[in-house]
Amino acid sequence: MSYLELDDVHVRLGDAEVLRDVTCSLDERTIAVIGENGSGKSTLARLVGGLTHAASGTIRVLGLDPAREAAQLRRRVAVVFSNPDTQIVMPTVAEDVAFSLRSDKLSRDERNRRVDEAMHRFGLADVAGHASHDLSGGQKQLLALCGAFVRRPDLVIADEPTAYLDARNARRVADHLFEEGRHRLLLVTHDLALAQRCERAVLVKDGTIVAAGTPAAVVAEYEDGLRC
Amino acid sequence: MLTLYRPGDGPWHRLSAGPKALGLMLVVLGVSVLPSSWWGAVVTAGLCVGCYAVRGVGMRDLLRQVVTIRWILLVTLAGQLVFLGPEDAVANTVRVCVAVVISGLLTLTTPVSELLDMLERALRPLGWLRLDPQRAALVIAVTVSTLPVLARLEREVREAQRARGGGRSLRLFAIPYLVVALKHADALGDALTARGVR
Repeated sequence: MSYLELDDVHVRLGDAEVLRDVTCSLDERTIAVIGENGSGKSTLARLVGGLTHAASGTIRVLGLDPAREAAQLRRRVAVVFSNPDTQIVMPTVAEDVAFSLRSDKLSRDERNRRVDEAMHRFGLADVAGHASHDLSGGQKQLLALCGAFVRRPDLVIADEPTAYLDARNARRVADHLFEEGRHRLLLVTHDLALAQRCERAVLVKDGTIVAAGTPAAVVAEYEDGLRC
Repeated sequence: MLTLYRPGDGPWHRLSAGPKALGLMLVVLGVSVLPSSWWGAVVTAGLCVGCYAVRGVGMRDLLRQVVTIRWILLVTLAGQLVFLGPEDAVANTVRVCVAVVISGLLTLTTPVSELLDMLERALRPLGWLRLDPQRAALVIAVTVSTLPVLARLEREVREAQRARGGGRSLRLFAIPYLVVALKHADALGDALTARGVR
C-alpha cells in the first residue's frame, strides 16, 4: 500500500470547492506538487497534514485517516509553512526547537540532547539563546525546519518553504529538506528546479490533479500550459 | 509580566522557577500591605531597586520595565491625585509600579520552557476538574510569548498606514490590526497543530 492515497476527495471552504475529484496513490520518497497560485496545492498539503478536512472521499496518509486518527498522524507528520514567523512559538531559538518535543514523554536530558543535536545539524547552535523573531529570514526558516525535524517525522510536508528566501538560503533549506534523515517529503513549490530534485511530481490545476509522473515530464506539461 | 527572558547567570537566573515565583509573590504581597505613606513608598521603591541590583539584571532593565508601563502609572497617579491627595496617590502608584516590575523579574530571568514546566506542575490540581493542566499551561505560555508578536504586528500596521498616507485615524489602524491579529491567531493554531500539540 502507498503511504499517500486519496480517492475521490473533495474539499470545500465555505461555498467554494477548492479540491475536487482528487484521486492518487503515491509512494515515492520525495514528491513535488506544482501548479499556479490558487490551484489548490496548499489545500492538498494541508489535507495530507490533517490541517484541513475533506468534505467527501477517502484519505490515507502513512496508513492513517487524518480525520479519525489525527493524534497518531501528528506524531508522524511534520508541516513546514512558507512564512516561518507563523510557525515560531517560543521566544528563544532553543526553546522553540524544544517546544516541538513537549508532547513526547521524554526525559529532560533526552529532550536537551535531541535539541542540541538538531540545532547543530541546522547550524543554529551559535544562536541558541537568541530571540527567535530577531533572526534573519533564512535562519527563521531553518529554525522552522529544525523544529519539524527534531521530532524525527516519517513524512515532512513543506508548503513553499523557500518562497521568502534568497538563493543561498533557499539552497540551504532545500538541501536540509532533501538530505536530512530518512523521511518522506511532500513538497509544494513554485520553484521548478526544486521540483526536479524530487522522484515524482504532480500538477494541480483548478482544484484537481491533472498530471502525475516524473518531474521532468510534469514540469514540461506545466510549462506547455503556461505558453498557451 | 510582559518582559521576555534575558539569559544570564545571576542569583535570580539560578533560582528555579517554582521557588522564585513563590518568593516574588510573597514580596509583592508584602509590598501590598505596607501603609500608604511617604516612607512606605520609599521602602517599596528601595525594595524594588534592591531586587534589581544583583548580577544578571540591572537598573537598565528596571527602567525599561517602568517605561513600558508608564501610561498605566500616569492614569493610576492622576485618578488618585484627584480623590486621595498626593501622599496616598504617590504611595499607591509606587506600589502598583513595584508589583508589576518585581513580577517582571520572573519572566526576565526564567526561560518560557521552565515557566511552562512550572505552570504544568502548579496547575495539576485542575485535573480534578477534568481540565488538562498541560493545555492550560500552554495557553498561558503561548499568551505570554504572543505579546511581542502582537506588538510587532502593531508596528507593521502603523508603518503600512503611514506609507499609504493613512494619518493617525484609529479606525484605519484598528480594522487592519484586528485582521492581521486574527490571521496570526489562525496561523498559530495551525502551527501548534503541525508541531504535534494535541
